[in-house]
Amino acid sequence: MKYAFYPGCTVQAEQFGYEASAREVLPRIGVELIDMKGTSCCGFPAFSSVYPSAWYYLSARNMAIAESLRLDLFPLCNGCHMSFVETKHYLEVNPGFKESINRDLKKEGLTYTGDVKIVHILEILHDIIGVETIEAFVKKPIKGLKFATHPGCHAIRSGSLNHTDDPENPQKLDDLMRALGANVMDYPEKTDCCGSSLAIASGKTTLMIAGEKLQSIKRYGFDGLVTVCPFCFKVFDNRQRAIQATMGDKSLEIPVFYYTQLLGLAMGLEPLKLGLELNLSSIDPIIEKILEG
Amino acid sequence: MPKEDSVLIIGGGIAGIQASIDLANRGINVYLIEMAPYIGGVVAQLDKTFPTMNCCICILEPKMIECYRHPKITVYTLSEVTGVEGSKGNFKVKILERPRFVDISRCTMCGNCIEKCPVIVPNEFQAGFESRKAIYIPFPQAVPYAPSIDKGSCLHFREGSCRICEDTCPARAIKYEQSSKIVSLNVSSIIVATGFKQYNPEEMREYGYKRYDNVITSIEFERLVSPYGPTSGELVRPSDKKVAKRIAFVQCVGSRSHREGVGVPYCSGICCMYAAKEAVTIKEKYPESEPTIFYIDIKAFSRDFQNLINKARDEMGVEYIRGRPGEIRENPLTKDLYVWYENTDTGEIGRKEVDLAILSAAILSRSENTKLAEVLGVELDEFGFFKVEDPFLKPLETTRDGIYVCGCCHGPRDISNSVIEASAAAMKAAIGIQSEAAGSGG
Repeated sequence: MKYAFYPGCTVQAEQFGYEASAREVLPRIGVELIDMKGTSCCGFPAFSSVYPSAWYYLSARNMAIAESLRLDLFPLCNGCHMSFVETKHYLEVNPGFKESINRDLKKEGLTYTGDVKIVHILEILHDIIGVETIEAFVKKPIKGLKFATHPGCHAIRSGSLNHTDDPENPQKLDDLMRALGANVMDYPEKTDCCGSSLAIASGKTTLMIAGEKLQSIKRYGFDGLVTVCPFCFKVFDNRQRAIQATMGDKSLEIPVFYYTQLLGLAMGLEPLKLGLELNLSSIDPIIEKILEG
Repeated sequence: MPKEDSVLIIGGGIAGIQASIDLANRGINVYLIEMAPYIGGVVAQLDKTFPTMNCCICILEPKMIECYRHPKITVYTLSEVTGVEGSKGNFKVKILERPRFVDISRCTMCGNCIEKCPVIVPNEFQAGFESRKAIYIPFPQAVPYAPSIDKGSCLHFREGSCRICEDTCPARAIKYEQSSKIVSLNVSSIIVATGFKQYNPEEMREYGYKRYDNVITSIEFERLVSPYGPTSGELVRPSDKKVAKRIAFVQCVGSRSHREGVGVPYCSGICCMYAAKEAVTIKEKYPESEPTIFYIDIKAFSRDFQNLINKARDEMGVEYIRGRPGEIRENPLTKDLYVWYENTDTGEIGRKEVDLAILSAAILSRSENTKLAEVLGVELDEFGFFKVEDPFLKPLETTRDGIYVCGCCHGPRDISNSVIEASAAAMKAAIGIQSEAAGSGG
């Protein structure tokens, strides 16, 4: 299967580990990633509050590029995914506005028809490739480790538009972790916010929200946290030292991974190829454990 | 042409039973049709009445027996109405009677068959908290008091391999060869009393029903506190069989819903009162327990209803929090629950840790109503309840002359009102017969 690949700015500007691991792992399991030329910002959902038409335009523009490639669009970032899904819906129910966007796109020789499908990494892995197939690629099962899953809110909300997973009881990431041999368990804070949306307005609040979630993950005895969202990863992993300081708890250490990194390790790939050196949380003991088998 | 002084009553719950008894005591023949193998309906499953706090089965049991043994009442269990022709005063009705596979007249209720039956399945009557056999009686007070074979789970019917109940029956009452029968009846009028079903809160994903062991519905709770229930009345929670102390009632689950495709917009009418009753029951049995009722507002409109609410809140120490919980979550290690809510009196967001959560799920129309309404030639309302001609002038008359309703089949109501309506519907049916008799005699 082939997709127009849209990593998104957060991934391309700072979450190199996600892009590296995705580009390393996905083609090996049959997902061909076609890079898109001339893409722009996804529109960023937060724009919608100040300049909605700019958001729709930017979002539609990227979808139009995917359409010109005759491919479905695979944004690696949860935020971009939601941006596309919401724009697609908005233009569907507002054909007049779609027309005016197309007038602007025409200047670049682009057209947005709305035929493009937006696929999320959970859908590709869980629904299209399938858990059994992924299981078959596993050479080094992640045994004896219990992971908390965090799909990230943008992947599953709003529930009425975005059918990536059940917004109240997301289970696909759990299934995918089980396929790697890992233990998973539901926990009450599973669908709680990572806090990142508040990062600009109130950085401390972000850290407290994330901190409470990490504390409960620790309380339930998880060995690590896995996510598919670069925003969530950024808070939980990159800001973990700051979270410790905010919560006044130096012992609050939770190793954080992208799913593609764990999938790569389970497939027996070199940690260096998966961008794991860029994870800032204390992942080394977990990697050792996985490599030992 | 001679008119039959008979009435057909569809549904053997408390409304159908009451209407049957009243008509029969007036000397009128009654045919009572029940879909299940036993009469009694939902009230048989309930623990206590409100506001009087009487034992439900103690009220129902004498009525069930009186009804079943009444010389003027013929009870058809496992039956449904498949055809109605004619008009008021002269309906020709066809009944499909499914086999019980047990000859009630021979059965001595020795219980051998039940003991020896090798099949074990969940007992629906006990809300699945207890198992039963393929040949079974659902509860000790069941009427008729004789087993029936559930064809769907019986090995004899599934694989043809087993005849254990037949071999073990000293009275030779097991009859595998019984088949469905069509019964034709002539009746003057028809009373529909098919009751309701409870909303399945599974679709309100945020409350975790069926996902979390300790989230149950109010009818399931009724079985847990019933002295005749699976736990003999011990309020033990499903996950670890420990007595639940901290209990949350979530009101309006599926009722008064404005969410598209989820629940129903109307008020179910009885949940405020049964939740108060259930909370008082808990407090009376376990004084140290901590029941909390999360509500939108309290509808206590009938005589003595407000007294029960006051008693629950002011005397028994039941906590009332005004706010509709947004979410219930489960601690995966302890299976305790966290109820998230906004207290709309104070504006505070809260998280309450409880052992057990009870969902006061909405009262819905029965899905069988669609087919039955077609057979009867009457209309349903937008929610699938039987429609009445006029709520004031003809409150129990359906859209077809001579067919009446009572109880929850035309909307949510409590037991007391269902019984009142049953007697009223019986009166309407009787008036039809007697005015005809007077007319033909003159």
